Amino acid sequence: MMRNIFGKESKSDTPFFIKILNFLAPMYRAFGVDYPTLRVIVEAKMVMDGRQESVIQKSGWGNKKKNDEDKNTFFQSLWMYAIFSLILLFLFAIDNIVFQYTIFFSYIFVMLISTLIANFSTILLNTKDQVLIGTKPVSSRTLSAAKATHVFIYLISFAAAIAGPIVIATFFFHGILAGVLALLLVILASLWCLLLTIIIYATVLKRFNGEKLKNIIAYSQIGLSVFTIIGYQIMNQVIQIVDPEVLAIELNLQWWHVIVFPLWFVAPFGMLQDGWSMTYGIYIAFLLLGTLGIVLLYRVNNDKLEKNLQKLDSGEAEEDKRSLYETITGKWLSWDKRELGYYHFVWQLTKHEREFKTRLYPSLASILVFPAVLLFSSFRFSEGAIEESVTFIYMPYFTMLMLPMLAVSLQYSKNYKGRWIFDTSSENHAGVFLRGMIKAMTMKLIFPIYVLLSAVVIVMTGFELLPVIINGFLLIIALFFMEVKRTITDYPFSRQYNASEANQGCLATVIFFGIVIVTTLFMFLIQEFIPFGAYIVLVLLLAVDGWLLTKGFDNTKLYQL
Amino acid sequence: METILEMREVKKSFGGNHVLKGVNFSVHPGEIIGYIGPNGAGKSTTVKIILGMLQQDAGEIMLFGRSLAENGDEYKARIGYVPENAELYETLSAEEYLLFVGRLYGMDEQIVRQKSFSMMKILGIESAFKNRLSSFSKGMRQKVLIISSLLHNPDILFWDEPLNGLDANSVQIVKEILSELKKDGKTIFYSSHIMDTVEKLSDRIIILNNGTVVADGPFAELQKDADGTLEQLFNQLTGFNEYAELAADFVTAMKGESQYDA
Repeated sequence: MMRNIFGKESKSDTPFFIKILNFLAPMYRAFGVDYPTLRVIVEAKMVMDGRQESVIQKSGWGNKKKNDEDKNTFFQSLWMYAIFSLILLFLFAIDNIVFQYTIFFSYIFVMLISTLIANFSTILLNTKDQVLIGTKPVSSRTLSAAKATHVFIYLISFAAAIAGPIVIATFFFHGILAGVLALLLVILASLWCLLLTIIIYATVLKRFNGEKLKNIIAYSQIGLSVFTIIGYQIMNQVIQIVDPEVLAIELNLQWWHVIVFPLWFVAPFGMLQDGWSMTYGIYIAFLLLGTLGIVLLYRVNNDKLEKNLQKLDSGEAEEDKRSLYETITGKWLSWDKRELGYYHFVWQLTKHEREFKTRLYPSLASILVFPAVLLFSSFRFSEGAIEESVTFIYMPYFTMLMLPMLAVSLQYSKNYKGRWIFDTSSENHAGVFLRGMIKAMTMKLIFPIYVLLSAVVIVMTGFELLPVIINGFLLIIALFFMEVKRTITDYPFSRQYNASEANQGCLATVIFFGIVIVTTLFMFLIQEFIPFGAYIVLVLLLAVDGWLLTKGFDNTKLYQL
Repeated sequence: METILEMREVKKSFGGNHVLKGVNFSVHPGEIIGYIGPNGAGKSTTVKIILGMLQQDAGEIMLFGRSLAENGDEYKARIGYVPENAELYETLSAEEYLLFVGRLYGMDEQIVRQKSFSMMKILGIESAFKNRLSSFSKGMRQKVLIISSLLHNPDILFWDEPLNGLDANSVQIVKEILSELKKDGKTIFYSSHIMDTVEKLSDRIIILNNGTVVADGPFAELQKDADGTLEQLFNQLTGFNEYAELAADFVTAMKGESQYDA
């Protein structure tokens, strides 16, 4: 039976989050929100998230299948993150409370912001609610708050999973006061992330419109990712390892470090340990003022986002043209007419779909910045020349980190209903479709980034590394096939974006890491320690890729989930 | 007579594309208005502006005797809206969807359930009351949307192509429902592409072309300017009279003998 959230006889069945919301009702009213309406919307949204949408009716209506029952995959996978976050407990081995919580809040902010931008932007920017709820006597303020609350339920659950181990440990290691402080600050951090995102979106939406806006949002996300990573670079400088043997650490706080806001969250812990100091006092003042500022800004902006949201759907159509790059690569790489068709199909579809971009582009940006950060950190610790650093030589290999997110994103489309067209084909064309898709995505997204990173390496070290670099690219193609095989069971672009599936990319990434580490290590050992190893790998990979690119997926059958 | 809705020089453009170039018309209580025009003429945009989903660039809209700019969101409680393209939350069941909409109007659940079930029964889809909307056919969805727009007994209806996807019998019922609602003093503002229906059903017809109103009046009056059916008038006003040639060209193109280059 479907759970009926709309009351009826099951008053005792009130979900947990609604009880919490009831508790917060006065706060909502203070923000000019119609609380009962908000509750109705959030309840309905949560019910919808728990359901998988079946695109085509299976066997007539009136029959309910078992798998139609309510389940929310998001909450079911949270324990993975909790376990993953247990690793952070090593922090308590280092006896410096400020250091412990600097790392902890850095981790929390990176995880929260990236999750929010990559996975929940589509919900915040959903225009369907405007048509279906905005046309009822519901103020934009209320609708906007309902959406924010909907996202916040996921965000806070996610925060609980990733921060849980440390917060619990804090009670044991630093006492009750510190534990309560950690708990409150994690909640505050989640709130910051959400409100900041909404404020930024609302501001951008207010000023611009149409097609331009979609690009600005995609870029603003990249900008935010870059900003985060730069922030951590500064953080990296703040922490000085005094004696690596005993893990002694000193913090080198300068006045200008005050711009790194996660440090504000750390100051209360410092004060708890060291007592009052000017630096801590200033940081705490910033924390309080920052919170107040964000809340006020949200209060001013919280109806603007909804009011301008329709702009997203009503942009003027730009003329679609295939770029020269797309045409030429398509001609060279797709040796089958049908495959070429899919090549262009995938290329154009991903070019226009905002949801696809908001999911994927932030991780693309971090792939470009992450190697740089890693490079400089390793440079700082090791005395050797930069060109000899293994991290540097293998830098282009980092491109493969985008594969899991990419493979997951390719399942979804805003226009998922168009999938019927794949079923009208008179023969099994899964092979050409998937190959065309992989080729298009490789040339559109992976190749440019890979070439850029490779160019840096080659310019600084010379051409003798070319085989290693080519091998890396071939490996990425092979891994891409594997990821697609692992992830995609239905036709690509045939599922709907759904809040409860929002963390699929993260999960795939976690699993993918294991595979990548093993493969790359293997390749690294062969290439570094066996004479002509790189050439042997080259031949092997060419054979594998050659087969994959011509015959891969030929026997695959895609089916409706 | 006082007006319930009045549009004064309403303009709207998206980027460089001027969709509405100064739209003027007024609607009186109890009228059935057929709002017609070719695809892309700006019909849905007009309705979206009235419902507050979009803001006009210029011009004023008076609804229920007040300017839209001064109205809060309460005025929407007096409007019944059927969106184009039959958009709804498909993962909900019909019952849940209607209860959800009813609660947004601040209505009591028991009343909503009872009202919506009876209305669905009359339209012949009560057996699907508890089924997910994703399994509904286009016509069934349209019926659910029509019901959802009437739950709260609104004063004015904005129906964007309400007859879309309905079978002939259902179209007949909906037409009769509209006449009944009119008798009840409701104002109905709807858009449609079925000229035959618009001709017979509307008290007044407003034809929008290229972002401006090109005709406004009862069918009998419009007929004086152009003899024949509404369809012919529509063709004439929207500058479209070469359909026979175009049809022949179309079939030629299908056979691959096109005279136009891509």
